[in-house]
Amino acid sequence: MSTQSENRPPGRKETGSLGSAISAATRRIRSEVGLAAFLGMLMLVATLIQPRFIDPANLRDILTQAAPLLIVTMGQAFVILVRGLDLSVASLMATVAVLATAFNAQSDIMIVPIFAAAIAFSATVGLINGLLVTKRRVSPFLATLAMMILLQGLRFSYTQGAPAGTLPPGFRWLGTGDFAGVPVNLMAAALLAVVLWIALHKGVFGRRVFIVGGNPRAAELVGIKADRTIVACYVICSVMAGIGGLFLVGYVGTVDNWVGRGYELDSIVAAVMGGVVLSGGRGSIAGALLGALILVTIFNIIIIVGLPVQGQFVVKGAVIIGAAAIYANLANRNSSTP
Amino acid sequence: MKPDSALVRLRDVLRGIGVSRLVLAFMLVLALVAGMLVNEHFASWRNFANILEQSAGFAFVSIGQTLAILTGGIDLSVGAVMSACAVFLAAGIDGRDALVWPITVAALALGALIGIVNGLLVTRLRVHPLIVTLGTAAIIEGLILLYTLKPTGSVPIWFEDFAWARPAGIPVAAMVMAAIFAAVALFLAFTGLGRSIYAVGDNSEAASLRGIPVNQVLVFVYGASGFFAALAGVYFVSRTGVGDPRIGVPFTLASITPVIIGGTVLSGGKGGVIGTLFGVLLLALIGNVLNHMNVPTSIQWVVQGLIILAAVSFHARGARK
Repeated sequence: MSTQSENRPPGRKETGSLGSAISAATRRIRSEVGLAAFLGMLMLVATLIQPRFIDPANLRDILTQAAPLLIVTMGQAFVILVRGLDLSVASLMATVAVLATAFNAQSDIMIVPIFAAAIAFSATVGLINGLLVTKRRVSPFLATLAMMILLQGLRFSYTQGAPAGTLPPGFRWLGTGDFAGVPVNLMAAALLAVVLWIALHKGVFGRRVFIVGGNPRAAELVGIKADRTIVACYVICSVMAGIGGLFLVGYVGTVDNWVGRGYELDSIVAAVMGGVVLSGGRGSIAGALLGALILVTIFNIIIIVGLPVQGQFVVKGAVIIGAAAIYANLANRNSSTP
Repeated sequence: MKPDSALVRLRDVLRGIGVSRLVLAFMLVLALVAGMLVNEHFASWRNFANILEQSAGFAFVSIGQTLAILTGGIDLSVGAVMSACAVFLAAGIDGRDALVWPITVAALALGALIGIVNGLLVTRLRVHPLIVTLGTAAIIEGLILLYTLKPTGSVPIWFEDFAWARPAGIPVAAMVMAAIFAAVALFLAFTGLGRSIYAVGDNSEAASLRGIPVNQVLVFVYGASGFFAALAGVYFVSRTGVGDPRIGVPFTLASITPVIIGGTVLSGGKGGVIGTLFGVLLLALIGNVLNHMNVPTSIQWVVQGLIILAAVSFHARGARK
């Protein structure tokens, strides 16, 4: 699908990029304040309907439940920023969970090699996704769809139905425990957020991501190897999915073949809601985090006000269309392809 | 972008179909030979009739998906529409003979209506179809599951003829499938609306400059996609006798595979339904051969993933510059 930015003559890029960088920065801040305000409003309304919402215990539930999604959504944001999409994250989460049981570890010291193996495996998956998209020019949708099915097949071939191994007991602590009064998985998400925020907003790499996502041809003209940047984004996304999968297993407590089911769409929904634009080049880590938090908060509100769980689907659907429509109308001043 | 005269585009379309047909034909022959080597019952009319019946529902959803992809969009609500229409149909008829025809028509209309809503959301809100249909899919799925969590309703036994009857040995499902594919292929090739679907997918701005009502074309296409998804839902009710609220779930993403294998490009404007038909048949054949070989489902998934990648990276070379 060709967008207008691709057809723009690349001649006066330099002057344009400074101006657009400034306006992009202000727009980013404004949209994040808007998102935070929306989250605050949501919480206020929820409290008015059901005072139990604001209980510290419930807020803690929301945060521990959100942590894996926060991690996965940040990764998804990198891929969307370079005009991609990763449908394989959920399948990868489950595969990494199964991989963790393959160690059949009893002692917590094994958590370190399990994480190392999971990260290495995820990075390989991301590398393959990235190479398919860049070198073989497969559309991200199909490349990651095929990867999703492939991983699913490999996982089920290995487990023959149900995973048999055990996880070290420490996983439960990683997924649900506290350290100094703060949920461990939330601390991990925050740490990763800081790292990724620096990578995306404070360095050369991040600037390349925005340029490649905003205008791949211009990126090539100014000497950026777009392919490398894109591959790196897929690797980041997969590694985040792998780490998110391990924390999710810790949270859920049991491994089955479908750990993380639904996270591929939830992470995309969260990122889009957080202002990461599907056509690439616009978005932020803070936005992705807020998007994921809003989504999990909505899920929590549905449960806590006593609506049936299936209502989550309805609300999720309405929210994603509504959010995308709002962003599309905000952005419509400079683009017009539906 | 080149000045796109009708001739140049026609040549492009023909070339695209030509290449993908060759690859598909080769893979089909390969699957047939493999099947015959693996099992002596494979090359029997009864087995082929089985394959056709098994793939008919899959084929119906994939036609609609082809149309959506031809415009450069995608319809991720087809699975939800299938489930919704299946539940609506079975629960609505609930074993009553007299209600079969009116409710069947209503179920197909419901599918088309949901599709039209998708189309209106895509064109009015100017949101990417991926997001719109993802959203409507979630809403529909939630509503179905609020209505029922387990298979519901029933149909008269003769309703199951759609999926199971074989007058003169030829499955009804295969006849319907052949008729629909022929009709849609002719529609795409010879009507103004059919050709404008390609024009919109190729370059919607150019299409709109040439006076093609892009928005109406899109609404029509998503309506058609919803209709065909509903037909698939009806077919599965005929096959299973009940309305399963989860029947469509696997088809949302699965319906994209035969379209792509059949040579229709995700970016739109190139391809067609005949390729999709061959894609459906190829996947069904491969599944059948692997079943005859007693290959577990998990390995079949691996094979499916590899086939998508093989087909797509082949097409991609020809498709992009």
